[in-house]
Amino acid sequence: MIRAWNNENRFHRRRFRLGVFFMLPAVLILLVVLAYPILASLILSLQDIFIASDGIHGRFLGFDNYTRLLGNELFQQALLRSMYFTLVEVVCVVSLGLLVALLLNTPSGRHAFYRVVLLVPWALAPVANAVLWKWIYNANYGVLNMIVVGLGLSEENVVWLGRPWLALNMILVADIWKAVPFIALLLLAGLQNIPTYLYRAARLDGANTWQTFVHVTLPGLKTPLVISSVLQSIWALKVFDLIYVLTKGSPADSTVLLNYLAWRETFSNLNIGYGAAIADVLFLLMFLLALAYIRALRPRRALLNGNNP
Amino acid sequence: MSYTFKRRLSRNFIRFCLAGFVCVCLGPVIWALVTSFLPLSALTSTPLDLNPLNATLDNYIKVFDTSRGLFSGLINSFIISLFTSAIALTLGAMAAYALARLKMPGSTLILMVILATQMFPAIVIAIPLFLAMSRINLIDKHIGLIIVYLSFVLPIVIWILKGFFEGIPQELERAAAVDGASPLQVFRFVILPISLPPLFATGVFAFIESWNEFFFAIILTRIHVKTVPIAIAEFSGQYTTLYGQMLASAVLASLPVVVLAIVFRKFILEGFVEGAVKA
Repeated sequence: MIRAWNNENRFHRRRFRLGVFFMLPAVLILLVVLAYPILASLILSLQDIFIASDGIHGRFLGFDNYTRLLGNELFQQALLRSMYFTLVEVVCVVSLGLLVALLLNTPSGRHAFYRVVLLVPWALAPVANAVLWKWIYNANYGVLNMIVVGLGLSEENVVWLGRPWLALNMILVADIWKAVPFIALLLLAGLQNIPTYLYRAARLDGANTWQTFVHVTLPGLKTPLVISSVLQSIWALKVFDLIYVLTKGSPADSTVLLNYLAWRETFSNLNIGYGAAIADVLFLLMFLLALAYIRALRPRRALLNGNNP
Repeated sequence: MSYTFKRRLSRNFIRFCLAGFVCVCLGPVIWALVTSFLPLSALTSTPLDLNPLNATLDNYIKVFDTSRGLFSGLINSFIISLFTSAIALTLGAMAAYALARLKMPGSTLILMVILATQMFPAIVIAIPLFLAMSRINLIDKHIGLIIVYLSFVLPIVIWILKGFFEGIPQELERAAAVDGASPLQVFRFVILPISLPPLFATGVFAFIESWNEFFFAIILTRIHVKTVPIAIAEFSGQYTTLYGQMLASAVLASLPVVVLAIVFRKFILEGFVEGAVKA
């Protein structure tokens, strides 16, 4: 009896030791490539960094970079544009994603072919996607102008990426096209988790299609919808490849969003401390969104544990 | 009668929507594919000359010219993605098993931290890593990019594999332990052999993620280890009017990952997408 207990105890000790040994390499790597740079970035944002022939030097500034930032017009515009971009992208991607998910959940939409179709835009390299849209938007030979002029919507070719407001919205379209598939797949998974007896009950109660959608489908999709919105806003705030390939921030800096601005200040203008401050503002925005994501996941877990949410 | 008519109408409406959906999804891609096979003279003529007799492989042959950097880009991307996914898979499988089965203290906290790391801007870690790597001479080296790529690939791998390991019946491990296997032997001879398919699929996913990465690559490479996305971006910036070649290089860079995604769609749909909802 005691021997068996000892054996069991020894077995657990060995499992624990193995666990530590198994965790160690991954934790070490993540400390070096994640924890260290996040802390270092916060410290950098409080400094004036300059690169000299004998290395990189820093001078402590306090919060000067942040105060400069908040008073800077380009930063304010980039912040507003990022918020506009994120809001429109989330609304469009989630509603289109929901439409696609509903479509693929119908008897004729269940065929595997449609899921393969959906994976194509998702798997495309983001840079290849940008090149693809650069060609479609081309002012002289682009297919979009052929369609628009051909249908008589415009007399002459439109320079899609040449006008401030228009350029930003064209980037939005390209980004939405690439983002819808993943969200649609996520919502489709959510749709399939809604118990079918709820639909049967709704039909017995005489509910029509719209009533069923509002009272059964939407409530059942609440968690996936919240998660999609949060994930998509995080991804929209990160947009970079499309801007880099399509406009590089032009015309007149009208397509400069926060992430692009942070990159340009740091690596083109070599304002490293200032760039780090922009990055940290972005980090704060995303951190708040990440908290929302984790909160959205929590009710489900509480339910599984048998607690009332 | 009217009921069946209504049903037929709604079924046709759904078919119509599905057709529209396929056109929107595939249209831009097919357009890029078609034009990548056409000579410049056909693309720049008005009205557009889509005569299939003009089709040529010329664009594809020209982009492989060494001065374009596409060929070396493909090789660099392959090396970096392969090593990143191999390392992430090895270390990630160990960590995921420890988190799922070896009852590590604070494992929920570690998982939440891992999840949070997926959600911050790459620029935050890119600046300090760039400075650190300049100091130790890792800029423009394969190994530098591999280490940095682990920052986003390793957490995803741990997250996916943890979900998989939790699904393996514990009786299997207990039976092996009763037979006197040590925990390491249980992992090596029981868990790993039955986990090969998901391990492989997770590796494919990690490969796609590293292959498509652009942001770190543009910061941490200069000349020698430019990856495929960098080669395409530079190409589209330098030779702005060589449309056919620009598209041909984009097609070549996307082909491997799109094929991988379609072949492994079952795993991506079941493992990854649903994992994001269930956590």
